[in-house]
Amino acid sequence: MGVVHGEEMVLNIGPQHPATHGVLRLQVRTDGEVVSQITPYMGYLHRCFEKHSENVTYEQVIPFTDRCDYLSSMSMNFGYVVAMERLMEIKVNDRVEHIRVVMAELQRIASHLLCTGVFGLDLGAFTPFLWALRDRERILDLFELTCGARLLYNYMWVGGLSHDIPVGFVESTFEFLDYFEPKVDELENILAHNKILVERSADIGVMPKDVAISYGVTGPNLRASGVKWDLRKNDPYSIYDRFEFDVPIGEGQKGTVGDCWDRFYVRIIEIRESVKIIRQALASMPKEGDVHQSLPKKIRPPKGSVYARTETPRGDLGYYIESDGSPIPYRVKMRSPAFTALSVLDEIGAGWLLSDVLAILGSLDIVLGEIDR
Amino acid sequence: MIKYFSDIFTAVSTIAGGMFITLTHLVKAKKGIATLQYPEERWPRPERNIGFNSESYNVIRSRLHVDMDDCIGCLKCERACPVDCIKIETAKAPERGEDIKDVKHVGITTNGTRKAMVVTRFDIDMTECCYCNLCTYPCPEECIFMTGGPNGKKHPIDYEFSEPDRSDLIYRFAKPGTKEGMENILNEKSKVEA
Repeated sequence: MGVVHGEEMVLNIGPQHPATHGVLRLQVRTDGEVVSQITPYMGYLHRCFEKHSENVTYEQVIPFTDRCDYLSSMSMNFGYVVAMERLMEIKVNDRVEHIRVVMAELQRIASHLLCTGVFGLDLGAFTPFLWALRDRERILDLFELTCGARLLYNYMWVGGLSHDIPVGFVESTFEFLDYFEPKVDELENILAHNKILVERSADIGVMPKDVAISYGVTGPNLRASGVKWDLRKNDPYSIYDRFEFDVPIGEGQKGTVGDCWDRFYVRIIEIRESVKIIRQALASMPKEGDVHQSLPKKIRPPKGSVYARTETPRGDLGYYIESDGSPIPYRVKMRSPAFTALSVLDEIGAGWLLSDVLAILGSLDIVLGEIDR
Repeated sequence: MIKYFSDIFTAVSTIAGGMFITLTHLVKAKKGIATLQYPEERWPRPERNIGFNSESYNVIRSRLHVDMDDCIGCLKCERACPVDCIKIETAKAPERGEDIKDVKHVGITTNGTRKAMVVTRFDIDMTECCYCNLCTYPCPEECIFMTGGPNGKKHPIDYEFSEPDRSDLIYRFAKPGTKEGMENILNEKSKVEA
């Protein structure tokens, strides 16, 4: 008996589906269980970020950047203020820079914890998800201690921070890191080397180097494909050039370089690297320094434009800001890392089983708030 | 053949390893790790002792409150709000005269500023508020704030402020009757002038 070819079926996954990580609709053509084509439809969470920015003042844009990537709001703030400070040629003092780096790296840990936990959840492992969220909660507590908000901070301002860190923040962060480091090993042991997870993710959805580069994929997804590219090393902004850390790349330990397992594992190693950076930054943080020192009285940048890019947990985030000399931006354009990660889905996801597509989608770690903006 | 058995071995050993980790958690489960029974018990709210210039900082994101006695109607918070959820209407304070009994107008704030405006409308729509805290910084009289913090004794933090009706979340801070009183005064004034 030969192979039976059935008719192709068009199946909609989402927009309300837990595995699509938000409101994303995937239109997949399936032949039995095998997926031949994936078409992502997005825009369900479109909130006119860019158009809205043209109607509010520069400092009022920051709360909206929070809401783009709601899982790493600190990093989104960071990118915007780096761009604005480059445009206005403001130099902030060392204390501000250190606090910003600590916050951004804590946010990276929180975001990666959620990603790895949810990746396990997509593949049926429930316990690590709860553990990851439990540890993420501790980080959110630290943020709440600092700025009062747990998710959408509006903490970094152009030329400074909204407030200084509270008394005892450094100690409680060290305490958290001491508690947290064994937990990463635990998370790795229970999840990463588990045979069930390895079978579901190794050799699945391989993204070769050239595909990743030609689609403009950045961040951990690119590094998992074996490209050593991290803006914190290759194009240092803020004070990242002062710290020692490694850039982990995918090595294909369990399968091929650039498979789902690599994308997942790179994030776990990155958590450890972030812990290293936080320890260095906390140790070298200057005790004195006013966080409002270089805050401009009125934010009115000179005529001109700027493009600045920073490394968020999801990759290369770019802000293009054009100023016409008024207190309201002429144009704010955001280059979103999750958007390029989603666009590569059809290339690497076609040909796999339906359940593997969801594993690939989970390993890409997309946030729909940032894709739709 | 060897691969077949080694696969089985890794599968069994990794799963047993995972199970062992889970088991240790069962043994050393402590109080405080498990889920809290929410309505009966709650997470403690963090103590916010901001070290540097601590008095002026309020870093709590809760509902907004306005001390109307101190408001001078400068509209700075309205301009700072990125989502335009604060609506303020002011009227020039009438000169003190015989009609003073209707409205309590021009007064002195806690900071000693003379109030030149009567705030006839001060509405905050908490359904639209994005809790960015931007409105509290420019206030010269420090009269708009998120509840809690330095004013914690008067206005304790309350995160649970759900209402049965959406319109109940529009907080009207202007003193009731202010608007009508102002209209009466202005009408009478124009009559006298005419």
